[in-house]
Amino acid sequence: MMLPTLHLPALPKPLLRLTAALPAWPLTPPTSRAFAFAANLAAWPSLRELDWSHVHGRHFCVQVSDIGLQLFFTLHADGFRSERRSRADVTFTASSADFARLALRLEDPDTLFFNRKLLIEGDTDLGLTVKNMLDAVELETAAARMPAGLGHLVLALRRLALKD
Amino acid sequence: MPNPPLLELICPAGSLPALKAAVDNGADGVYLGLKDNTNARNFSGLNFDEKSLVEGIRYAQGKRRKVLMALNTYPQPATLPRWHKAVDTAATLGVDAIILADPGLMAYARKTHPQLRLHLSVQGSATSYEAVNFYRERFGIQRAVLPRVLSLAQVENVIENTDTEIELFGFGGLCVMVEGRCLLSSYACGDSPNTFGACSPGHAVRWEQTPKGMETRLNGVLIDRYADNEKAGYPTLCKGRFEVQGETYYALEEPTSLNSMDMLPEMARLGIAAIKIEGRQRSPAYVAQVTQVWRAAIDAVKKDRTTFKPLPAWQTALAKVSEGSMNTLGAYYRPWK
Amino acid sequence: MKLSLGPLLYYWSREDTLAFYQQAAEWPLDIVYLGETVCSRRHLLRLPDYLEIAEKLSAAGKEVVLSSQTLIESESDLKALRKLIADGRFKVEANEWGAVRLLAEAKQPFVAGPTLNAYNPDTLAMLADMGATRWVPPVEMPREMIWQMNQQMQAALPEAIRLETELFGYGRLPLAFSARCFTARHYNLQKDDCQFRCLDHPDGLVLASREGEDFLAINGIQTQSAKVMSLAHRFDELAAAGIDVLRLSPQARNMHRVVNIFRALADGDIKPAQAPAQLDRFMPAAPCDGYWLGEAGMAFHPVNNPITEGEPA
Repeated sequence: MMLPTLHLPALPKPLLRLTAALPAWPLTPPTSRAFAFAANLAAWPSLRELDWSHVHGRHFCVQVSDIGLQLFFTLHADGFRSERRSRADVTFTASSADFARLALRLEDPDTLFFNRKLLIEGDTDLGLTVKNMLDAVELETAAARMPAGLGHLVLALRRLALKD
Repeated sequence: MPNPPLLELICPAGSLPALKAAVDNGADGVYLGLKDNTNARNFSGLNFDEKSLVEGIRYAQGKRRKVLMALNTYPQPATLPRWHKAVDTAATLGVDAIILADPGLMAYARKTHPQLRLHLSVQGSATSYEAVNFYRERFGIQRAVLPRVLSLAQVENVIENTDTEIELFGFGGLCVMVEGRCLLSSYACGDSPNTFGACSPGHAVRWEQTPKGMETRLNGVLIDRYADNEKAGYPTLCKGRFEVQGETYYALEEPTSLNSMDMLPEMARLGIAAIKIEGRQRSPAYVAQVTQVWRAAIDAVKKDRTTFKPLPAWQTALAKVSEGSMNTLGAYYRPWK
Repeated sequence: MKLSLGPLLYYWSREDTLAFYQQAAEWPLDIVYLGETVCSRRHLLRLPDYLEIAEKLSAAGKEVVLSSQTLIESESDLKALRKLIADGRFKVEANEWGAVRLLAEAKQPFVAGPTLNAYNPDTLAMLADMGATRWVPPVEMPREMIWQMNQQMQAALPEAIRLETELFGYGRLPLAFSARCFTARHYNLQKDDCQFRCLDHPDGLVLASREGEDFLAINGIQTQSAKVMSLAHRFDELAAAGIDVLRLSPQARNMHRVVNIFRALADGDIKPAQAPAQLDRFMPAAPCDGYWLGEAGMAFHPVNNPITEGEPA
């Protein structure tokens, strides 16, 4: 019954190489494009029914501290859109493992914040809004709407971690 | 007549997944609020609209758990109908009780929905049996949540002199001030829990990593600056570091959470009706973790309170999710005061 | 506009306190509030002392009100409260709902203090029905809301019942109450053995941000603003919001000068715009007026910004 102490590995090297090898784009870094593409594919189907209207057009930055990755994107009625790294209204910073644990609902963002493992800079209200809205999405529902295979993988990973 | 409730576990639900996490992990009841300033966790993106509320009530009551709706801010003249409508919604959808702080709103609820069970919120600041009995006589409140400022001996004095069920906070964020009597937030940023429904609302908070450390500001006022290895706390003024007579320290309270698990046997002896877990602003992961631990502890103490001793693993788990990762017995333990 | 002297929020020596009220009898005040509202451990003056002061002030033509303790924790606190109410010679200011219950039971008229949290006309009308003759809004309540409260509450009450409105208009703002004593904490003392260090801080103990900005003031279990709330420069806005009484909160030095300036304002002898020039040097800290304007309490706007006729701005 005890809490999982999940140690997810950092992003595997091959994946990093893959993201770096994506075709260059004049305005947006390839990693941001890849992220927006993946997010639209995996997460958007379960996020789209929420009311994101007050978040539309706001600029987000996700910084993955351990691998020096910065992702810039905005959210619109049709999903995630990558942006060039000119500005961010709010920036989330954490390690790849901690972001993964957050995504799998294994970790509480406030706990990470208390332990200095998650930082929200810029428009705090925007950051907290997004955090709270994501919390309101049920992982099972989200997984069911992911592309075949991915959803199963996500839930399996979570189960594995909870057993750990 | 049924036995009076004893140590019901009441858990926070800031969202539908959090509600399900509480129910699935053994909460006897959940408390929740609507997506506006009618409750004291008015943070954007948090709380329930009518659709999720209907689903939440269905889920919890389907498993014979209670749903308590917090309407525990103070209605104001221009927006009073919003609170009345929220009371009506709660009654219509069939919540098990509403948690109120304002006497005017209690009068409305009593008159309009006489069948609806009323609880006195901690925001009502009732610290004596005279105050608790005021609400009981006037509005028929059936339970009172006491502010986190009384020692257990003082709680006992309340219990001995009222027929009202008493609910105490067991775990979570700790208001060091009497709830409902703290305007520190509005002094700094204009919004207080009483009227706005949030202490240190997001729009006024700024976190920034600087060469001197991570800085927390509320409407520009520096609340604290954390060195890289220091644990952080919520951006509330009572947990900030300030300078008093040349000395910089946590002048009001350290970033810390309440954890009263050591006192469960005593709470059982006193006949505390319910234990409340703080944290509607937190994620389903927190709710699941904390509910699990407290369910096990309450079951253990009900089985045999004389031999009850919190398991180290429980305390470790609770410490891990605590603000500042520190736990305190708070005012329940006399020397704290 | 009537002027009141609020209850003494600090802990002064017995001599200083007695001397203060002896002088206050001569000051141009209409109402004086007496009694310990903050901490039950403060005992240099007890109820009989306050009653004696009350008689003298009453003889000097002041209306006297006895203020009840805000945080009631123990049976002995309740005992003190019951005694205060039982005396019956003077009106009581109820600062929590236990006191309201006892006063209503005793059918005594009372003043509804600022910590009763009357934020809406329903609650206010209920207080009036239970015997309140005057109310003090929560110190954070903006002028528009006070105006609305009075409009709606009077509409809900029978014409014969008129509730006076008293505003906290001068002094360090009482912002929060705790079971914990922050003065004792500062001196690394337990509350039960605090050595009455509040005596050393007759205007509170200032707490500054780590950038050196004076922010709050510690007063035992009470937390106050470091800045001094002052509406002297907005004195002509008060009547339009329905304020009948302006409360001046005691400070250790020059209180009589503060009272005189507000009296001059009330009598029209000086204009609000002239007040700060006279008042500032007698204030223990910089002014603030944000709450009145519906902003952060610590904000300050020196320029006059009068409430518009009839309708709130």
